[in-house]
Amino acid sequence: MNSHSTIGVIALQGELDVARKTEIHASLVVPEGARAILLDLGSVTYADSTALTELLRFKSTADSKNVPVAIVATHPQFVRLVQFAGLNETFKVFDRRGDALSYLGEGK
Amino acid sequence: MPESLAPMRHAFTAFLVALDVPPHKRVDILTAVGETLSNAVEHAYRDVAIGTVALSALCASDGMLTVDVIDHGSFLTPQQRLFRGFGLRIVRSVAESVDVNTDAGTTVRMIFNAECGRGKDLAV
Repeated sequence: MNSHSTIGVIALQGELDVARKTEIHASLVVPEGARAILLDLGSVTYADSTALTELLRFKSTADSKNVPVAIVATHPQFVRLVQFAGLNETFKVFDRRGDALSYLGEGK
Repeated sequence: MPESLAPMRHAFTAFLVALDVPPHKRVDILTAVGETLSNAVEHAYRDVAIGTVALSALCASDGMLTVDVIDHGSFLTPQQRLFRGFGLRIVRSVAESVDVNTDAGTTVRMIFNAECGRGKDLAV
């Protein structure tokens, strides 16, 4: 079985602010059976603390299930946001999907 | 209304571009101002259906940008109007200074080292 088949992929797009809080909350769910999660934010052009709070909640749930999460973010705004919020050590953020998959392939 | 946040951010971004604020500074300033706008929309009019959040920006000849986010919501103390979660930390990471005035509604004034204006005083 291809190891990729057990990596859950969740993708979000556009601008993640409080107006989309309910939608973001509903999207960030740990998929059943996933041994790891790739969170693809490559198409996210803006995010704020509302999104960070939802991401933290999601990461916390994933951590409790021993499911590692790797984030792909290509727009600098998200990377900077994480830095400003002091969450560099909390989130594993990569600017390339391949690097994120390699990280997840190595396991925790 | 939260749905108005995106149009306000876009308008503010257009202003930053027009002032030749360097791209990396535009991103950070938008992040900080976006947090403040979100805070105003969420807290100012919790109990009221319609209200106004205003945004003003002044670019001084020394390149410093002063941005005010103003709302006329319910009268609360600065402590009661604290940013929730990471908001204030984010703003303080970007802005040179952040001040909250609650004399009439709430005005959050942020000053950024934006390298804007190229020697002219400009305001929006």
